[in-house]
Amino acid sequence: MGYSGARGGLEAILAAEDLVRRARDHAPAPWAPNEQITARFRLAVDRVMGEAGLYHADTSAAALRQAEGDPLEAAHLVRAHRSTLPRLAVSEPIDPDEMVVLRRIVPAFREPDGPQLLGRTTDYTGRLLEQPAGPPPRRSHTPATPPERTETQRRPGRFLDLLRKLDLVVDHRRVDDPEPFDITRKPARPPAERSAALASMARAETGALVALWYRSILGPDGDIHEVTLGEVRHGRLPLRVRHPHTGNPVRVGEFRATEAEAIEDLDGADEDRSRFDVGYGLCFGHNERKAIAMANLDVANRRFGRTGPLEQLLLLTTDGLDSAGFLEHLKLPHYVTFRSMVERKQAMRAAAEAGPRVAEPAGQECR
Amino acid sequence: MTSTLDTLLTEREKDLHLGILDEGAKREIRRATLTAVCVPGYQVPFGSREMPVARGWGSGGLQVTLGVIGADDTVKVIDQGDDAGVNATNLRRMIAATTGCAGTADTREATIVQTRHRVPEERLREGQVLVLQVPVPEPLRGVEKSVVECARMHAEGDYSAMWVSLYEDLVRNGMITRTTGYPVLVGGRYVLATTPIPRWDVPRLHESEHLSLFGAGREKRIYAIPPHTDVRPLTFDDVPFEVEHAPGARCVLCGSDDVFLVEAGTTGAYACSDTEWCARVREGDADTEAHHARAPLHLLPDPSARLRAPATTTARPGRPRPVLPEGQDWALRVDGLGKVFGPGAADAVPGTGPEHGTAISPATGAIVAAWDVSFDVAPGEALGVIGESGSGKSTVLGCVIGDEQATTGAVRLAALDEGRTDLLTLPGDARRRLRVDSMAVVHQNPAAGLDLRVTAGGNIAERLTAAGWRSYHDIRRRAAELLDRVEVPLTRMDDPVRTFSGGMRQRVQIAKALATEPPVLLLDEPTTGLDASVAAGVLDLLRGLLAERDIAAVVVSHDFAVIEALTDRTLVMQLGRVVERGLTDQLFHDPHHPYTQRLVAAARR
Repeated sequence: MGYSGARGGLEAILAAEDLVRRARDHAPAPWAPNEQITARFRLAVDRVMGEAGLYHADTSAAALRQAEGDPLEAAHLVRAHRSTLPRLAVSEPIDPDEMVVLRRIVPAFREPDGPQLLGRTTDYTGRLLEQPAGPPPRRSHTPATPPERTETQRRPGRFLDLLRKLDLVVDHRRVDDPEPFDITRKPARPPAERSAALASMARAETGALVALWYRSILGPDGDIHEVTLGEVRHGRLPLRVRHPHTGNPVRVGEFRATEAEAIEDLDGADEDRSRFDVGYGLCFGHNERKAIAMANLDVANRRFGRTGPLEQLLLLTTDGLDSAGFLEHLKLPHYVTFRSMVERKQAMRAAAEAGPRVAEPAGQECR
Repeated sequence: MTSTLDTLLTEREKDLHLGILDEGAKREIRRATLTAVCVPGYQVPFGSREMPVARGWGSGGLQVTLGVIGADDTVKVIDQGDDAGVNATNLRRMIAATTGCAGTADTREATIVQTRHRVPEERLREGQVLVLQVPVPEPLRGVEKSVVECARMHAEGDYSAMWVSLYEDLVRNGMITRTTGYPVLVGGRYVLATTPIPRWDVPRLHESEHLSLFGAGREKRIYAIPPHTDVRPLTFDDVPFEVEHAPGARCVLCGSDDVFLVEAGTTGAYACSDTEWCARVREGDADTEAHHARAPLHLLPDPSARLRAPATTTARPGRPRPVLPEGQDWALRVDGLGKVFGPGAADAVPGTGPEHGTAISPATGAIVAAWDVSFDVAPGEALGVIGESGSGKSTVLGCVIGDEQATTGAVRLAALDEGRTDLLTLPGDARRRLRVDSMAVVHQNPAAGLDLRVTAGGNIAERLTAAGWRSYHDIRRRAAELLDRVEVPLTRMDDPVRTFSGGMRQRVQIAKALATEPPVLLLDEPTTGLDASVAAGVLDLLRGLLAERDIAAVVVSHDFAVIEALTDRTLVMQLGRVVERGLTDQLFHDPHHPYTQRLVAAARR
């Protein structure tokens, strides 16, 4: 017996793939090249880069097109692609203080160090649906005169430093410099280091993280209560690696990231009521929702991660590929396992029909 | 000009292959697989990569297969026993396309069989590798949701929660109703989830000739059953493990009735789930006789065998009562025990205690909850520790039990190493083990000592199975005997403890504490929180139990009436120190220390 028995399955798969390709790639609409997608669906591209853990806009755009706009499926495509790539180098540590801000707001302070820079946001734009009949009139893409920015405006001091100066924050800085936990090489399980939780959140599915954050506020086992956002910023950071021959750090590119600091009021019995605690969030691209949720959950995890379910929830339930993969596997055939379950139901019924089971009077029947 | 990135790429070019997994990842998977083979049944964590199939669609099995496969291998892939299903087809084409190996449906030709939910009916032989896709690798998840706790249970081989779930199943349903993914004990050490293969396939993993590798991609675990490994489905010695069976069913295609059958159509017909085996039976190309001999027909459900008692009772495991060495008359001995909450340890002690009127250290602000507490208890003797709330008596008990880390001192049990070993130097797992059969505790709150969702019998079964009892009927008999002794009506034996009153719960807790006849019993405010009449009943019971047993008891209470009723000697504690000690009768009638006088006066009021 050869391979022929498998033909039916293969034909069905090929036909399904063909249906997708025909509808997606040959739809009667202009082709959407990568630059079209990165330019017009920037936030979707950024989200895929973050959830995939691979910063490359072109790859993300291609994935979004292939996934017909499903960001989770696109993140899966990028991560599976990443599995085929060798790890060329490990970057030098990124110093977020080097971030050149494109946007930066400090809700907790009227006049912080540096600017309150609104930047590119629709925060204050009325959510009114625009339904233009066609493309808008042509307009030059470059702003009239790029404003000159001082160093403070480009790289403002962070709000946390101000709080430290005022001695209003609990200091969690460590003097040792441990290697960060690499979630792409080791499975993160509780109890885990803070870096494992931060990395898991940075790569988490945005909706899952926001839902967990909201659960921590409104859910029955919530841990976050007094939420103040210290600072949120979006900007560019340089990426450096050591040159394989000279050993010197060399700048090989830059990437955009969103950073957030969340302030938590401490009120636990063994906590310093006279100070605040600050949580940290950082993720690829422009994704403020994720960075803010992450910062809040970082503090909550430090305070309650081990005494409640939060650490396990953070580490094990927020990855989109994990949760969606497990959910979707329910579509696979399960008739063997189901048969085994049906058999036990039938066995119980048969036993019941054979006569009522004498509830053993405390083991008396076995004498 | 060459950029830094270009240079890095050239450095690594030798490792670049067209594939779905880079070479570094494959090496890592092989290392994890080797570890798994060396420690059968242990779940080895690995850096699971993202595959072109979703997690849950065989990403773990695929990684294991790609990690161990070579170009001259022949691979067979089945899903539900079927080579032709879409998922099997898809995985096979992916493996073949990226490795260049040959594909087959014939189990006899395959060197690697990747499977979801089945073990082939054909006998797997030496040299063949069975790769099982695992959706949920943790067999304990059904009884414990915390992954930290599950890890502890595996590390300590503490599977009593699993045994209790089987016990409860039998009590409620008269049979074990677990379906697929039946838990097995591998090599007598680790409990393992048999993916979800049917129970029919479980015996094929025992002493097999082939190597079984289990890959869980989503949960990032690899585990293995090497050839010739002992694999036993978890069941009590006197309750048979049952495989699936549909009476009278035969395959509509090949007529076999000694294979795993699945429903064919909706009219009650059945067919082989292993399509390749079925085809070969029809072609006359299968050794059906050898297969029949191998089939688990001796494990077909037999209602008459389910809860039938064995003719003779099996020996009850338990350690012999320790013989006290010459010149040593204590079962439990505590020397110079101290516990400081906060900074300073011994430096925090000066300036605290009854003479200073405080337990808070003037030097460091730490709370000196107990200091320089020493006592011993002989078999058959009961020692009382009395004091107000905050006097340190519960802290002392906590340190003896192991719930608290003592700052200084030593705790010895005659049952352990003839009293030579200081318990405080033992790791957590060793101390937890002592609580199974050497030292039992009755907590003030029954919820601390019982699982309220579990039946009264099941709670006692927890302690007995932890001590190694494996006979369902022996456990039932022992639980009934104990519940009868603590005056819990046997009609309530199979009711969850949460439906019990406070006094009844406390009686169940006492029965559980005595289940393994431990030489030392620690009672922490055993009647506090009960109504006066109920408390009196429990007190009567305890007095009787202590009198009829050769047990060394420590009773902690704020109530002199409890201490007087139960104990022979007493320590009085105030602000972390022992302020008076003596025979209970004498203390009660002639207290010296003013604090003791106050306590006695309070009891007489």
